[in-house]
Amino acid sequence: MSDPRYEVYEAGLIGEGMHEPPVLPAGLRRSPSGVDGLRTEHLVVNMGPQHPSTHGVLRMLVEVDGEEVVNAEASIGYLHRGIEKLAEHRRYDALGTLMDRGDYVSGIMGELAAALAVEQLLEVEVPRKAHWLRSLTSELNRIASHLVWYGTFGLDTGAMGQFLYAMRDREAILDILEAISGQRMMFNYVRPGGVVRDLPPGIDAKIRAFVDGFENVYLPEHDALLGGNEIFQSRVKGIGVITREQALAFGLTGPNLRASGVRYDVRANRPYAAYPELEFEVPVGETGDAWDRYLVRMEEMRQAARLIRQLIDGMPEGPHAAKVPKVLRPPAGEVYAAVESSRGETGVHLVSDGSEHPYRFHYRAPSLFALQALEEIVPGHLIADVVMIIGSTDVMMGEIDR
Amino acid sequence: MALDRLTGENSILFARSEQLFDYARSKSLWYLAFGIACCAIEGLMSASGPRFDFDRMGVFFRASPRQADVMIVAGTVNRKMAETVRRLYDQMPEPKWVVAMGACASTGGPFREYPNVVLGVDQIVPVDVYVPGCPPRPESVQYAFIQLQKKIAERAKERVDAARG
Amino acid sequence: MLRVADVERLVAGIEGAAASEERLGIVVRVGRGSVEETLAQLKVAGFNWLVDLLGTDTGEHVEITYHLRSYEAGQDVFVKTAVPYDGELASVWQICPAALMPERETAELFGLRLSGHPNPKRLLTTDGVEPLLRKDVAVRTPEEFRR
Repeated sequence: MSDPRYEVYEAGLIGEGMHEPPVLPAGLRRSPSGVDGLRTEHLVVNMGPQHPSTHGVLRMLVEVDGEEVVNAEASIGYLHRGIEKLAEHRRYDALGTLMDRGDYVSGIMGELAAALAVEQLLEVEVPRKAHWLRSLTSELNRIASHLVWYGTFGLDTGAMGQFLYAMRDREAILDILEAISGQRMMFNYVRPGGVVRDLPPGIDAKIRAFVDGFENVYLPEHDALLGGNEIFQSRVKGIGVITREQALAFGLTGPNLRASGVRYDVRANRPYAAYPELEFEVPVGETGDAWDRYLVRMEEMRQAARLIRQLIDGMPEGPHAAKVPKVLRPPAGEVYAAVESSRGETGVHLVSDGSEHPYRFHYRAPSLFALQALEEIVPGHLIADVVMIIGSTDVMMGEIDR
Repeated sequence: MALDRLTGENSILFARSEQLFDYARSKSLWYLAFGIACCAIEGLMSASGPRFDFDRMGVFFRASPRQADVMIVAGTVNRKMAETVRRLYDQMPEPKWVVAMGACASTGGPFREYPNVVLGVDQIVPVDVYVPGCPPRPESVQYAFIQLQKKIAERAKERVDAARG
Repeated sequence: MLRVADVERLVAGIEGAAASEERLGIVVRVGRGSVEETLAQLKVAGFNWLVDLLGTDTGEHVEITYHLRSYEAGQDVFVKTAVPYDGELASVWQICPAALMPERETAELFGLRLSGHPNPKRLLTTDGVEPLLRKDVAVRTPEEFRR
């Protein structure tokens, strides 16, 4: 191996043991049905990590019998970059920057989870306005995140137009969030004690205009474009069914859990920020198939728009952050704080030893649990449906690998 | 049209083949749809969305490395991913270019302290353009493509000069 | 709302199990051998939802925390156990299938052996990577990452 192109392999930069044949777990799996008792040779198909429809660097090893999936295994870690380890070397107010890059399309909610955990340790009282600003940015971010899901889910079914419409509306939200926080994606807006800055002047009118348009024109348009499409409906209805029992057993949260008929939403069941004072509905599905997950997320966008309207109308006066020391040294202790992000319950399990760095920081990623449920529900489907099922659960590799 | 600008009033153009091919290449830089992390949302998704609309510059995505000219490394590359990045690069046909998008792909970014993270994708594949930012705005990626076009034009000139001797 | 005494009653028959009220919530500390039994008993009592599983390097051993939730009662219980370094993490996937991937991740990042797991392969990193979440594995220094 004297070829300079292979130096990287020799330098040990590239890992070993990547191409061993998959050892597939037994016991949990369904047995292959087969058609008329006909058995063909099983074939292991590799999807990813570079694949147009795996939503990031997910690698699925799918064992197929003809067209039918017999076994599926998710291989992850292609984006493992040590958020939990690095947090032990960051100060408490910098945890938000890491959380932003975990679930990178709904950054505000990740920051909020970290901030809530630190505040629990510090026992600091957050001003009412900060609560409202946190909820407002969270809901804006939720719509932006669901729009990314909506656009890419449509791409998985073979449609293209809805992606462009979703991106158009997402840009409108990113403009608002950029005006509020200063960045398009990595906001770093929510900090322990409150938020970084108050709303810029004149932004309420912008948000109102966006919500009016979104609720009355754009969202019905989105729903008609994709959900009203017969091809889309026939492709997603009845596939990827997650029963209520499976959903609870695999620890699903968020829209995936609610689509299976469990009415659990952190915003309603363990309210945080401004949610105790707000009115909203928690939509649930019936069968737990991909179509139900679609309906639940569309309804969530509607509810988010409703929340934004309430938040803008009732925005209280006052300071946007509590006074906290520059260097935070929370007393020793262990806490868990959770928020309802767009993918489910994003939790932060924080252990402090009294120093200025966390002793242990654990990020509970909702997508990780959705992903292991995928391994269970994908077998029995046709191979063409695999990307649809992955798309319908809206897994985010940034937070799975952390 | 662009060809008119080259040929003027006459409809005949004398050009060296290298020059002509490189001109065509610089106007149709197809990138590989290979989003690794956060930067992919900005550099690949927003970029192909309606506001930034890279398609109008002849820049759009290809799902297969065998049809792609440019690889935008958009995200943190770790030791498990490194082999895949190199494989995809090896699968792309010549000539090919690499854009290291964002702090992670350039140096390891905010994750450089983690021993599992590769300190910049230039340790694995040769990089032509680095784009700073975390994540860079889609405009920055547009600028990166303009720089890449300049680089290709320069290369064409060098090759013609070399042929002339 | 369940109180500590109620949880104590739930785990009464289990050897070495002690429930206490901590800042985190109700924490049940058990020996390594009786984790499965504890989780099974709590599951019968409604704590059938494994929300999270994590390890913590305490300096003496790896502390594994099982975060359980009862959907009906709307309450959380944390079960904690200590596993020595290079020790064995016994899988609980037959009681809580949600533990399948978090267990693989915890075992890998803390350098534990995983027993009773249907697929005990490495999850996140390639072979030869040290247990990265251990406190004795250092991160890169500025001299190392500045090229």
